[in-house]
Amino acid sequence: MSHAFYLWMSYGATAIAVIVEIAALRARRARALRMIEEERDIEAED
Amino acid sequence: MSAATHESGAALLAGSFGAGFAWAFARDLTIAWRHPGETLLVVAFFVLVASLFPLGVGAEAQLLERIGPGVIWVCALLAAFLSLPALFASDHADGSLEQMALSPHPMASWVSGKIAAHWATSGLPLAVLSPLLGLQYGLDADTLAVLALALLIGTPVLSLLGAACTALTLGARGGGMLLALLALPLFVPVLIFGAGAAQAQASGLSALPHLSLLGAGLIVAAMSLPIAVCAAVRVALD
Amino acid sequence: MNWFYFSSPATFYRLAGAMAPWFFALAAILAGIGLYFGFVVAPTDAQQGEVYRIIFIHVPAAWISMFLYLVMASYGAMSLTFNTRLAAMMARAIAPTGAMFTFVALWTGAFWGRPTWGTYWVWDARITSELVLLFLYLGFIALANAFEDPRRGDRAGAILSLIGVVNLPIIYFSVQWWNTLHQGSSVSLRGTSMHAAMLTGMMVMALAFWMYSIATSLVRVRAVILERERRSAWVRQLR
Repeated sequence: MSHAFYLWMSYGATAIAVIVEIAALRARRARALRMIEEERDIEAED
Repeated sequence: MSAATHESGAALLAGSFGAGFAWAFARDLTIAWRHPGETLLVVAFFVLVASLFPLGVGAEAQLLERIGPGVIWVCALLAAFLSLPALFASDHADGSLEQMALSPHPMASWVSGKIAAHWATSGLPLAVLSPLLGLQYGLDADTLAVLALALLIGTPVLSLLGAACTALTLGARGGGMLLALLALPLFVPVLIFGAGAAQAQASGLSALPHLSLLGAGLIVAAMSLPIAVCAAVRVALD
Repeated sequence: MNWFYFSSPATFYRLAGAMAPWFFALAAILAGIGLYFGFVVAPTDAQQGEVYRIIFIHVPAAWISMFLYLVMASYGAMSLTFNTRLAAMMARAIAPTGAMFTFVALWTGAFWGRPTWGTYWVWDARITSELVLLFLYLGFIALANAFEDPRRGDRAGAILSLIGVVNLPIIYFSVQWWNTLHQGSSVSLRGTSMHAAMLTGMMVMALAFWMYSIATSLVRVRAVILERERRSAWVRQLR
């Protein structure tokens, strides 16, 4: 295994971790906003 | 009214650390005495798991002698950990925990008493039994002595750390696995110094540094962890 | 200025939203500078060749993972002392990023260890302590989310993080006592045996990770605020 392999695996994993974290954050925010929308709609029906 | 009666009357109302500790210690020990099953299970588990390792790794004498202290310590860790839920669970379930929280004695006192009783029914028997298991692993007499002493000093720390984690997880989802995730990482230093003490003795070095660190750890834990346990119990009772 | 103005979730929500992009930008710029130092300025290592450049991720990630735990525990202490919701929410917001950096430190440590020490996993002091730290983070996240009542989770998590923060140096010390395969600390306050450019690279990357952590924590705490406060009037009137 060349040294390049280890460097790529390390920097690559870090990049993926950052991307996954940011994606998860956006998904969490979207889910929270959707929940608020739904509850607002339910209340509007009353 | 004479001054003496007035004083003792005030003392009765105020509650004291010693009285609270003694009361809780005696109570929990009595309960354990009446239901010896739990303590016997802890001991049985300890012996059983310690007997599994040679079956798994082979009975080669040199190997067993090397891994003996570590294996016995890990078994002690697991056995102590498995007996933790019983510390608060039944009292929490039947409301006695709330009653105890209303007691005039400082919370830290009866909490410490319960922890001490827990240790007396888990860590203490394990420490006493460890020489027998050590013989199964072919450890020599000096190592056996150090191992037992290390367990004697270290298992109370496990009870203290475990009690804090148990109180934190009262009524939580996730049960035993959550407790394991919280408690076992905190047990790591005790394991390292406890097993290290016996291993040092086995290699002819002095076990004194390890035992001193364990002792210091015990003092620090005994002074500080009951406060954390009290905080956790209060959070659980709110 | 009344600092307690921002201790209400409603006002902090807007402030965090305004600040987060700036911290992301700072993180990106600092990362760019750090990687420039790491790959262009810093020379090839005599013994390890190019593969040593993993330290520009590995060491800063390890530092930040420990630093974030400290910050998390501080917020926990604050939440217990002042009984504020927001401090507890910040602790919850930091934990996943802390866990992420701990994982990155472990992963990059493994891929640095393979070419240099021969194995992916080495039971040396620092890596083993990082592993225990990962469990401490996971334990905090699990405990805080294990209750119906989020306030109970807040308080339990805060107590746990305080126990953890006191134990962390003890764990570290004990594991170091137990084994030392890792190179003796070459980064110390007294002076360093590393090339100056290598040290600068690591420091700048550490700063980049720090700014990134602040950014993600701010974004995450906004989501936590939305989830927890969704019944209140100001959230209903959002957008």
